[in-house]
Amino acid sequence: MRRIGVGLRPLLESVLAGLIGLGVGAIIMRAWGYNPWPAYMALFKESFGSGYGLANALANATPLILTALTFAVGARAGLFIIGAEGMMYMGAMAAVAASFFRLPSGWHALFALLGAALAGMVWGLIPAVLKAYRGVHEVISTIMFNWLAHFFAFYLVANVLVDPIRAEKTISVAKTSRLPILFRGTDLSFGIAVAVGLAFLFYLLLWHTVAGYEIRAAGANPHAARYGGVSPRRTVLLVFILGGMAAGLAGAVETMGRPPTYAVYSGLTNIAGFGFDGIGVAMIGRIHPLGIIPAAIFYGGLQAGARLMQMEAKVPFEMVRAVQGAIVLALALPELARLFRVFVRRARFQEKKT
Amino acid sequence: MAEFFLRAERLTKIYPDGTVALREVDLTVHPGEILGLLGENGAGKTTLTKILSGLLPPTSGRLLTPKGPIRFHSPKDALALGIGMVHQHFALVDTFTAVENVALGLGKLSFSELRARLKKLMEDTGLHVPLDVPVEKLAVGERQRVEILKILMREVRLLILDEPTSVLTPVETAELFKFLRNLRDRGTAVIFITHKLKEALAITDRIVVLRRGRVAGEAKTSEVSASELARLMVGAEVGLSRRALELSWEGIEREEEGTACQGEPSLVVENLRVRSDTGGLAVRGVSFAVYPGEIFGIAGVEGNGQTELVEAICGLRRPESGEIRLLGRNVTGLPPTALYRRGLAHIPEDRWKYGLILSFTVAENSILGRQRENAFQRAGFLRAWAMRAHAAKLVEKFGIQTAGISAPTKSLSGGNQQKLIAARELSKEPQVIVAAQPTRGLDIGAAQFIRDLLRQLRKEGRAVLLVSADLDEVLALSDRVAFMYEGTIVGEARPAELTPEKIGLLMGGVKVGSE
Ligand SMILES: Nc1ncnc2c1ncn2[C@@H]1O[C@H](COP(=O)(O)OP(=O)(O)OP(=O)(O)O)[C@@H](O)[C@H]1O
Ligand SMILES: [Mg+2]
Repeated sequence: MRRIGVGLRPLLESVLAGLIGLGVGAIIMRAWGYNPWPAYMALFKESFGSGYGLANALANATPLILTALTFAVGARAGLFIIGAEGMMYMGAMAAVAASFFRLPSGWHALFALLGAALAGMVWGLIPAVLKAYRGVHEVISTIMFNWLAHFFAFYLVANVLVDPIRAEKTISVAKTSRLPILFRGTDLSFGIAVAVGLAFLFYLLLWHTVAGYEIRAAGANPHAARYGGVSPRRTVLLVFILGGMAAGLAGAVETMGRPPTYAVYSGLTNIAGFGFDGIGVAMIGRIHPLGIIPAAIFYGGLQAGARLMQMEAKVPFEMVRAVQGAIVLALALPELARLFRVFVRRARFQEKKT
Repeated sequence: MAEFFLRAERLTKIYPDGTVALREVDLTVHPGEILGLLGENGAGKTTLTKILSGLLPPTSGRLLTPKGPIRFHSPKDALALGIGMVHQHFALVDTFTAVENVALGLGKLSFSELRARLKKLMEDTGLHVPLDVPVEKLAVGERQRVEILKILMREVRLLILDEPTSVLTPVETAELFKFLRNLRDRGTAVIFITHKLKEALAITDRIVVLRRGRVAGEAKTSEVSASELARLMVGAEVGLSRRALELSWEGIEREEEGTACQGEPSLVVENLRVRSDTGGLAVRGVSFAVYPGEIFGIAGVEGNGQTELVEAICGLRRPESGEIRLLGRNVTGLPPTALYRRGLAHIPEDRWKYGLILSFTVAENSILGRQRENAFQRAGFLRAWAMRAHAAKLVEKFGIQTAGISAPTKSLSGGNQQKLIAARELSKEPQVIVAAQPTRGLDIGAAQFIRDLLRQLRKEGRAVLLVSADLDEVLALSDRVAFMYEGTIVGEARPAELTPEKIGLLMGGVKVGSE
């Protein structure tokens, strides 16, 4: 276990936290007069009880893995990157825009993926430069850049990428640029391989390369890291580049691999939120690239199961959200507490440098 | 002595990773007695006292008060009983001032009242600190003093001090001792941990020696000799105990073999001026040169600019003006790694801040600063095998006690962490070594080992700049000693030329011509 950078203890902690969350959720449902048992049965039957449900859980998990990686790689360096949302929008825009080009099948998808990663990266680089050279706090700047991305994407969807026939959405991604669906009838696309593959790459990077060593050093003790030749500037830039790429790809898989429309709706309704959910997923996964994979699948499963929980157990949608919130919060809490301490220490270090 | 204050029975502590730190330890603490706790690095002293002060639960065994068994769930429970501990590492809030740190957890007192009481306590104890500067800007020794004051502000009935003197000057230590005797005479119990046998013999009434988690022996201080203690500490290993024995009697042995001031100087500092964190000039025009094959010592009461001087030389702090030349090249203002590549190594004074990344494994820490060297990476990938082999070598050569090179560094005892830093820095094969308090917190054997190593480096023609608050150490090791006072060097001499009176004057800032 030690080998992969975490011990057994966090796992046990997570299981315990999950059970506590389920307990709290049950108490909430009880208090409002709903029967928790059939509700939970419905929740998990839908998502993990059938191959079809599982495929949809995985489909939901795909973008979450990627945005969670953005947050995780930042957190490992002691940065609180809230900007996956905006980077993801830019990735989605690039992925759609790639369909203006004509390329052979497969190559076209690759081209679009690269374009999306690049778009996310460029978008991430601006707050990175502000942080590295001007000391602008990444929490502030990335939140601002989320809004900038939001309105910019809004504009692109309505004016530039708009579908000439159906004005409520962008053009659909060209057939040559779509990610193949792995199981007919589900939403599960080749995007899951991209996401899981990138998670493994991030793991390799963090624990087996010099760059990763330096990222982790800078996050754990910025003083000692600087003394050990780790440039804070380089670390910030690198982390945002990596994070921007991951989030950009999240936007790509959500458009290139999401039937039936393969497009972005005006108001960004079908892609909004993945960046923020990724933060929760990253914490459930203990900001570890490999921990993120099961965390995202679990989270995706909760989303997939929500429908059945409403229908079969007659639990209103708001209640479903509240119960899910309790579970996610319980799971994220241990890491949240730890990160908060790191964050405070880091803020002091910044303060001192200036 | 019928009445006791606290008794530990058959305490065993096994850490989650399986390290057995204590095995069935019995210990009795009497009121009005200063109890010395001795033992090598990693013997279990800190673990034992952490259990007594409620910071750690024992794996088995129990604590007893005269009223019966007791269990502490947190340090608060222990404090309620009057048990306070001053830690080997600091537990202060960095951004708070001394007054604010003391105020934490004291509750009701108003700030002015607190300040008045703190001032009085400083008079009584002889421990003086600046009250209104954030503690992160204080020197390590000053922070230690804040820790002690913080505990003493409460009504303690058992005061536990974990290596309090390792960062104090002899004068401060003497004052602290006076205060502790006073405290004892008023009926307070004291547990005093130290690596210095002389101190233990001077201040304690009874001594308990730990060895590898067991009580190796116990004696009344008046009935025991330093050599017996040394033997108890190290066990039957004859060579080491003989060495320790010599040391305990004669202090640190002196060897004259430096070939001072020959050839081109390796490290030149010229008219250096450095500001402290608070903005004032901490170093006011310091100049000196260190030659290959010599150990150049800097002595003086801590807080007179030594920290800032070392930080400037090692690239951690930008000097205001002046020049630093390393092996003939101007290196003023270069970052630490650039200096290291040019042949400088640095054993930093603040090991938790600059020396180590506590959450990293021993292996990862063993290459900090060298992670980009070809020996440890290929095409950007860490050569895990090479890193582990390197760490294993250091652990072996320096006798670092650890559960394994994959153990997180925070699980090492204080002395073993220090050994790891020294091992890493000296393994860089440096031409110039800047050693700030290199033996702080090390047991006799380990300290001797490091000193021997520094001498070995000198013999090989390398230059050593030694900055230490331990006057005995500076005088014994150095070929030349400079004394620092309020940011300037007030005198420089060969140790043999110095008399105790002269040293006293120099430490106090009185310039004495060394003709
Ligand atoms: N958190 C921990 N996890 C695992 N092992 C630990 C932990 N803390 C201490 N140890 C181990 O327990 C043993 C005793 O450590 P302890 O800190 O009590 O030694 P010590 O006598 O205070 O030494 P020193 O003089 O170096 O401070 C050591 O072998 C150490 O490696
Ligand atoms: Mg200790």
